[in-house]
Amino acid sequence: MINKQTKIAVQCRSIVKTYGSGASEVFALRGVDLDLYEGELLMLVGPSGCGKTTFISIVTALLKADSGVCEVLGQDINALTLEQKVLFRRQSIGFVFQAFNLLPALTAQENVAVPLLIQGRNRKAAMHEAKAVLDSVGLGERIGALPSELSGGQQQRVAIARALVHRPKLIVCDEPTSSLDHKSGQMVMQLLRHIADQSNTTLLVVTHDNRIYHFGDRMAHMDDGRIIKTEMIQEKKETSE
Amino acid sequence: MYQIAIKMLMGDRAKYVGLLLGIAFTAFLVTFALSYFAGFMTRGFALISENSSADVWVMDPAVSSTEMTINMPSSALGRIRSVKGVNYAVPMSLSDITARFPNGHFQTFQMIGVDDATLAGAPVLTDGRLPEVLHTPYSVIVDPGGTSDKLQTPKAPRDQWPFDGAHLDVPTRGLAFGDELLVNDHRVIVAGRSQTIPRFPPRPLLYTTFSNTMRLLPSESRRLTFVLAKAQKGISPHQLAKRIQQQTGLRARTTADFKEETVRWYLINSEDVGDMAAMLILAMTVGFGVTGVMLYMFTYENLKQYAVFKAMGASASMLMGMIFIQASVSAFLGTGLGIGACAIIGESVRMTLDYPFRMMWFTPLFGVLGVLIVSLSAAAISARPVLKLEPGAVFSGR
Ligand SMILES: Nc1ncnc2c1ncn2[C@@H]1O[C@H](COP(=O)(O)OP(=O)(O)OP(=O)(O)O)[C@@H](O)[C@H]1O
Ligand SMILES: [Mg+2]
Repeated sequence: MINKQTKIAVQCRSIVKTYGSGASEVFALRGVDLDLYEGELLMLVGPSGCGKTTFISIVTALLKADSGVCEVLGQDINALTLEQKVLFRRQSIGFVFQAFNLLPALTAQENVAVPLLIQGRNRKAAMHEAKAVLDSVGLGERIGALPSELSGGQQQRVAIARALVHRPKLIVCDEPTSSLDHKSGQMVMQLLRHIADQSNTTLLVVTHDNRIYHFGDRMAHMDDGRIIKTEMIQEKKETSE
Repeated sequence: MYQIAIKMLMGDRAKYVGLLLGIAFTAFLVTFALSYFAGFMTRGFALISENSSADVWVMDPAVSSTEMTINMPSSALGRIRSVKGVNYAVPMSLSDITARFPNGHFQTFQMIGVDDATLAGAPVLTDGRLPEVLHTPYSVIVDPGGTSDKLQTPKAPRDQWPFDGAHLDVPTRGLAFGDELLVNDHRVIVAGRSQTIPRFPPRPLLYTTFSNTMRLLPSESRRLTFVLAKAQKGISPHQLAKRIQQQTGLRARTTADFKEETVRWYLINSEDVGDMAAMLILAMTVGFGVTGVMLYMFTYENLKQYAVFKAMGASASMLMGMIFIQASVSAFLGTGLGIGACAIIGESVRMTLDYPFRMMWFTPLFGVLGVLIVSLSAAAISARPVLKLEPGAVFSGR
């Protein structure tokens, strides 16, 4: 994948973020430097509370950094207005959450269509595309199922389809496998790996789970609000399978 | 997105039904309470409603309701009749009298003396006889006026006007044609019964002619409580009222205005109405509170879902729109249910229990408006946490 790692998708320098103030002040990020390349799958790992979620919130313009520069897909996040941030997320970012966060009242297909509906696409077209993406994650048969009728692994695949449907340049996954059993987790990671291989999409996966580290191209280690080490990952699952 | 908002709303059946029932309950409560109130107020101006053919009511300058009155000199009638534009004018006398029943019991009545010539304002008799029976001197028509079991006379002839003192605890039956009562030492004959609009406060009524009231009451020059005037063609009740007032120095009001004044009089002067209003306000506050809290909780429980929308790039206005759609859909459906139930239940208790229930145009309107305002404010309040949502909420595990 080295040949893909040419253009930079995310470039962060000296990101600092504190929560609260005075005695209750918490330093979540103490100067984060990190680059992501286009089309790579980067694993962001580190102990609980080290600032991973805070970092991806800043990258996705959900949270404002106190200082530092963060350029995502060519945009200086700090320079965006509130409306521009909303548009930026709507068009360029896909989210996968630990708890899936599917809407329980909607079918798999409707859930996947949501990002397109938010973009203002008409319902028919959105549903049509949602079906195609569900097909591609292997859930073409279950488009009418409610989340409660699906297994955890299936729900997470629906969530991935939802993160994909509007063809974002960056997909951010916060602990995508920690609510899943080992086998489902592996399937979900294979799917994410496949996305990175097949498209130019950049994936940022936050995880604790060392059994999935090998799905990444690179791994960034975070501790106490800093990136302490980044390394290439040598053995890839797809080669060992 | 709005379709999705509605799906979200209806997705959780139990919560949705609970919400609807809560709103329906509030709408029901508010509409019912107001209709009940309207019902009482309608009874408050029953006398005016009974005389709907009159255009203008004329009274002593100090009188402002049918409930508390003072009489005018008898000469007033002639003065009013001589005002230009008066087609005809008839006298009406109101007085409170105490009548004794044949067994010794007594009862306070409102005696209503109507014009001898036209019998305008005399009620329809329940047995089909004509009000002309009142032309017989000392004859009266009795009416429960919203009371029950107050018009009883002893069954057995030996209990009637006994010589050995009162026969109070004897079997009784309802007053009927031919029965006798004693009013101010005069025997009066019941010429029949009527069933007019119940009064508020309830009280038995005695209808008779104006000249009969003169026979029954101690002689006094002032017996004229109201004069009811009809306008000639080409003059409006308002114009006529103004003219009568100017030319006679008496107070003249159109029928509609006088109704309103009477309601206002009750609102200001009647303690019962004050108590009732306090109860109503309490009921409404509780209902509105419940609705508001339920709607707020509904949004609050869906906070996580809104957080996801927000992360995926839904704008603030989109989120607000969704919350408002949810609130208005539930408000409309809920009020529909509530007002429907109110109409059905209200009408049935009115018909079966003679309950003062009157669903006037404004009562459901208040119900709808009230619930809508509360729902939308609850939505606005619950939108706040959605808009201020921390990204932590988006990513937090559960
Ligand atoms: N909204 C907040 N207010 C105050 N402190 C916060 C807030 N969010 C996070 N923190 C603190 O900031 C630090 C970093 O939190 P963050 O959630 O980014 O860590 P994390 O690496 O994602 O942890 P985990 O692996 O448990 O998800 C922690 O000490 C946390 O307690
Ligand atoms: Mg985290």
